[in-house]
Amino acid sequence: MNASIFTPPSRRDFLYGLGASLGSVAFSDMIAKEAAASPLVPKQPMLPAKAKNVIMLFMEGGPGHMDTFDPKPTLTKLHKKESKSTRGLETGFKFYVGSPFKFRKVGQNGIDMCDQWQHMADPVVADELCNYRGCMAESLNHPEALFHMNTGSRLGGDPGLGAWATYGLGTVNQNLPGYVVMTELALPQGGPGNWTNGFLPAYYQGTRLRPEGSPILDLPSQSFKDRRHQRQFIDQLAFLNEQHSARHPEHADLAARMESYELAYRMQMEVPEVMGIDSEPEHIKQMYGLDQKDTAPFGRQCLMARRLVEQGVRFVQIFSGGWDSHDYLENGHTARIKSVDKPMAALIKDLKARGMLNDTLVIWCGEFGRTPDNNKRGGVYSLGRGHNADAMTMLLAGGGVKPGIVGGTDEIGAKAVECAHPIRDFHVTLLHLLGLDDNKLTYYHAGRYKQLSQFGGQVIKELIG
Amino acid sequence: MEDPKPGSLLLVLLALSTIHVAAADPTNAERLFTLKVGPLLKEKCDGCHGGDTEKIKGEFKTLTRDDLLKGGETKSDVLVPGDAKKSFIMTSVRWLDEDYEMPPKENDRLTKEQIQYLEEWIQAGAPWPDEARQEAIRVAEAKRKVTDEGVILKTSGGLSGEWTTRRYKPEDVWAFQPVVKPQLDLKPNENAIDHLIREKLAAAKVEPAPPADARSLIRRISFDLIGLPPTPEEVEAFVKTHAANASSAIAELTDRLLASPHYGERWAQHWLDVARYADTGGMSNDYERSNAWRYRDYVIRAFNNDKPYDQFVMEQIAGDELAANQEPGTKNSEQLIATSFLRMGPWDPAMVKNNEARQLYLDDVVNSVGQTFLATTMRCFKCHDHKFDPLPTKDYYRIYATFAGTQIAERPADFMPEENCEGFDEGRAHVQRLLDFAKAEEAKLVNKRETAARNWYAENKLPYKNEADRKDDPDEMKPIRHVGLSIEEQGQLKVREQDVWIWTRRLERYEPMVQSVYNGPDPKFLNARKLRMPDKVQANWKPQSHILTGGSLEAPGEEVGPGVLSALRVPVGSIETDPYLISEELSGRRLALAKWIVHPQNPLTARAIVNRIWQHHFGKPIAGNPNSFGVKGAKPTHPKLLDWLAADFVEHGWKIKRLHRMIISSQTYQQSTLHPQNEKLLNEDPNNDLFAHYPVRRLTAEEIRDAMLAITGELNPKLGGLPAMPEMNMEVALQPRMIQFSLAPAYQPSRTPEQRNRRSIYVYRVRGQADPFLEVFNQPMPNDSCEMRDAASVSPQAFTMMNSDLVTDRSIAFAVRLEKEAKTLEQQIDRAFELTFGRAPTIAEREKMAGYVIQMRAYHDGTTPKPVTYPTQITRSLVEEFSGQPFDYEEILPAYEKYVPDTKAADVAPGTRALADLCLALFNSHEFMHIY
Repeated sequence: MNASIFTPPSRRDFLYGLGASLGSVAFSDMIAKEAAASPLVPKQPMLPAKAKNVIMLFMEGGPGHMDTFDPKPTLTKLHKKESKSTRGLETGFKFYVGSPFKFRKVGQNGIDMCDQWQHMADPVVADELCNYRGCMAESLNHPEALFHMNTGSRLGGDPGLGAWATYGLGTVNQNLPGYVVMTELALPQGGPGNWTNGFLPAYYQGTRLRPEGSPILDLPSQSFKDRRHQRQFIDQLAFLNEQHSARHPEHADLAARMESYELAYRMQMEVPEVMGIDSEPEHIKQMYGLDQKDTAPFGRQCLMARRLVEQGVRFVQIFSGGWDSHDYLENGHTARIKSVDKPMAALIKDLKARGMLNDTLVIWCGEFGRTPDNNKRGGVYSLGRGHNADAMTMLLAGGGVKPGIVGGTDEIGAKAVECAHPIRDFHVTLLHLLGLDDNKLTYYHAGRYKQLSQFGGQVIKELIG
Repeated sequence: MEDPKPGSLLLVLLALSTIHVAAADPTNAERLFTLKVGPLLKEKCDGCHGGDTEKIKGEFKTLTRDDLLKGGETKSDVLVPGDAKKSFIMTSVRWLDEDYEMPPKENDRLTKEQIQYLEEWIQAGAPWPDEARQEAIRVAEAKRKVTDEGVILKTSGGLSGEWTTRRYKPEDVWAFQPVVKPQLDLKPNENAIDHLIREKLAAAKVEPAPPADARSLIRRISFDLIGLPPTPEEVEAFVKTHAANASSAIAELTDRLLASPHYGERWAQHWLDVARYADTGGMSNDYERSNAWRYRDYVIRAFNNDKPYDQFVMEQIAGDELAANQEPGTKNSEQLIATSFLRMGPWDPAMVKNNEARQLYLDDVVNSVGQTFLATTMRCFKCHDHKFDPLPTKDYYRIYATFAGTQIAERPADFMPEENCEGFDEGRAHVQRLLDFAKAEEAKLVNKRETAARNWYAENKLPYKNEADRKDDPDEMKPIRHVGLSIEEQGQLKVREQDVWIWTRRLERYEPMVQSVYNGPDPKFLNARKLRMPDKVQANWKPQSHILTGGSLEAPGEEVGPGVLSALRVPVGSIETDPYLISEELSGRRLALAKWIVHPQNPLTARAIVNRIWQHHFGKPIAGNPNSFGVKGAKPTHPKLLDWLAADFVEHGWKIKRLHRMIISSQTYQQSTLHPQNEKLLNEDPNNDLFAHYPVRRLTAEEIRDAMLAITGELNPKLGGLPAMPEMNMEVALQPRMIQFSLAPAYQPSRTPEQRNRRSIYVYRVRGQADPFLEVFNQPMPNDSCEMRDAASVSPQAFTMMNSDLVTDRSIAFAVRLEKEAKTLEQQIDRAFELTFGRAPTIAEREKMAGYVIQMRAYHDGTTPKPVTYPTQITRSLVEEFSGQPFDYEEILPAYEKYVPDTKAADVAPGTRALADLCLALFNSHEFMHIY
């Protein structure tokens, strides 16, 4: 095969293609030479980077900040008293709702935690945590707010955080996707719009590892075709394609397309290996709560996240649903906290023990916070909360953030009042920690250079260690 | 540039001139400031160093000369008049000091030219004339028609004087200038396209590629016009006629394909990509747009009937207004259906305030109309005057005002004879079954609750009240909410209530209704699950429209009336003082806009559509961004050609089929993909900007699926009608999908192969759930207008083509067909190649493939594929907000009860499976996937 007929752009396309999939194995010589041209090979950050990787734990539905990490004793005093607030979407008679949980301060930084957090309260974990209380969303409904937190735009269709990160930094392991997303069986509202490549090239799209069945659609062969069959099939295809390529030297993408089949063949073996957490020692599995029904699903994903980052994946995101407690807040949040408490704590401990926490930024957040009050539902006092775009709570750990409490909400948690910043500033800060300058990480689309923050934002310096 | 004169001297001279002779002619430096430096500071610096004192960065302001002289918290020598070297601002704008790279955004950085202006101004003493003097300079400057800075384009006016009088390089604003049809010195029988393409080729000293061979041509033209492969018989017939007379053979082929109803299916897809067609509304509920399919078929009909493009545009923007002027009857439906275009964007007002929901709709529709018809991204001048194009914010809000009374609603519209209403009864019965099930399950839970409520009232010796009546009673006078229901049952009740809505809504698919619009005041409540036109509309009501400063509803600015883009200099109305305003009556605004869009003098409209048509024939447009012709868009590679085509298009009645014929009959189109100087061109013209050869392209997602179905003989070629539900990857079909309050129902395929194996344009398009096969081959997400498909090769495509049920089933069907149509293995292989590639196999190919099939027969003798079974009911699980615990519920899948599956691997003999392996290889091959 005459290598000179392959123009650089097509070789680059080829490599994008590899990276966008779960790839493996060494490149051929021709490809290796061009590897530097691939946008998915690691790139130097623009600024000194504090974090290399991100694990983002997304609590879909919006956890109540006053029921997790931001205690509001005043609300307890006002419990069931009428609220005149016109914020939020609820209308009619509204009343305040005190948190059903008791709070205590943990660790040397005195992080507030409700009593449902058992494992996160371990000082080994708590002392790594930064609780940021100043972030403000803009949208009161789930998909818009999810899109906003995940893509910087409320409208859906812009690139996800991980797409921007891999666009800016590439990814260390060319044999795995740079941006991996794990969800529950049900997709979050807005679905793949939350991890799309948007207007960036398709190679930056988040790859969803499915929790059940085949981790990637159609990864396994049909059940009646074995490995030998697959090999022979690809050999026949290669024969047909070689004949064809010889007739069409003008078509520069053909070799790349054939290689994607060879790669697919190798991936059928390798992906299940990467996914196989059974090889982990028993004590690790227990630490992540894999042995308990409540914690096993999220625990498995947290453990996978560690394994992926360990192997050089740039950005991992896990969605955990069910936080939208308009009613029965106590039941709802108790169960949700229980499902994530042990796995999250294990993840932070595990990363720390392996010396990975320094350059791995762990984020825990939702799409917005919750209101201090609620309206009657079905005519009765329902003990839950509405959507609150003016306040929320986040946890950050590792990756160069400063442990402690940053920012604050007002007395009843209605609004962020200290170190208050819109989501775009949080995004700019996230990129900054990764050594990327939001103003320089741009892509030309629909008439202008677009950036994650849409129109620029500022670094929240208080968060940085 | 260094000034040779001592700066201080100049400073003194300049200072004297400004102080003593205020009325004297402005100096060059003053002009430089007024026209260049001042606007520069305003645009690039004032955002952070002007305005609110609280937000000022670095305690440094750029609003006055004194501000600059004073400096900021760390630097005092920002501006040293007469000495650019000492002025820190120069270091800063050159990004020479890491801590002070200004402006900080890469995209905002000053150009070399701008840095030079600033430098010259400082060297000249940095004069800052007062406002009156600046105005005088601007007025004087505006009187000069052309300067080295370019031309001023007259508009309705920007938010600032500088913007209004800024200049544009004529070549940058090519799209806003009138179309001028070039006079061509055509030889007899010479195609204008060839003339203009070759003019540029000659200049580049490149010969055009030789003509393509007949087999390539018929495959190219067939996919191009109808999106389907030619049959082997068509290929052989064409090869013969082509050998006798190439051009008449091509002309005949073109005519035959343009007359085929499949032509409309292929070309409507291009339009629907831009219009963002989907059968659901997206966002949190992803509600069914039950009658959107009628719009899809309207577009197909429009292409098939070669509806003049100007009429096509008018109907989509103002079909309801056109219909209102006509006799009632079936004609109305066609025009009302066309207005579904205005309903194509994703939109859901759930949990959004009414006025914001309206703004979201209006911004979307304004942008969509601009992108689709005018190749202009409108959202670029919503918050401020356009940064690069002659498009003031005022014009954005004039068009916004044009739509201000446009309300969305499902409206009655009779089915027309040309619409395909097949399968209504079966479809309705299916949905009714699902609705009845949801209602029955709901009733069970409600009964349980009300029984418990009755008991409670009896125990408390109070008279029973139903749920609605007791709602407002004090807590002690009524049972607790959800009385008698476990937490799981409460979750189930919510799911059933939601399902009742979903299926009720879907039943509307079979009703004579259409997703449309009407003119009237904003409704008090908006809910996307039911939007109806009120019985009485206040026809005298007029919307009040304002410029929304910064795009904010909270900051209404100057009042604006309905109008159009003033920079195009095409009048829309009869108001003499401002011919770009539309009359204020509520009704007729959109029609006026539409007529203006298709005004023969409108420079954008015809260019936009001929550019798109060209793009779909050649894989790339003449002007690089078909949705955005502005200053920052890619300039046309062949501006004369674009104008010639646009002018010719309008002159000859806006007929698209005529344009197809002109393009296909050109030698440019008929060129081979392989150019004799292939390597040279790959290096020198990698994007084929010269059109020196025909570009190779990969089949689109729809073409891949449709071609496979055509080759296997499974394709049901029926036109139009209800959305088709093909089989999709079972894991995806049954995968739970969150919507506002619960899970969306599972995807169920249509019952029979005939219903499923329709062309892909008819495939049910759900915003929240893409068809995984079409998605992996780059079918765009319908939330954003797609001007050009991506064809990136990613390895999930290989998984889909090798391993998916969908393609495996096609390979089995293909093998079954081959066994029916040919006896020996060799004949079967020949037939397979002819059907897939339109050619016979080479001897080597035939031998190799025969060997493969024989080998695979042995393999498959030893395998037993599992028969496929289909669930008629599934248990679904959802995490309930009430408890935070997952709860289960049953969902029925009646589609699978009398399901007729496609032929599966388990249904055929090992020999057929072996032949299917060959078929699968052909479908996976480069040759099948690409057009040459």
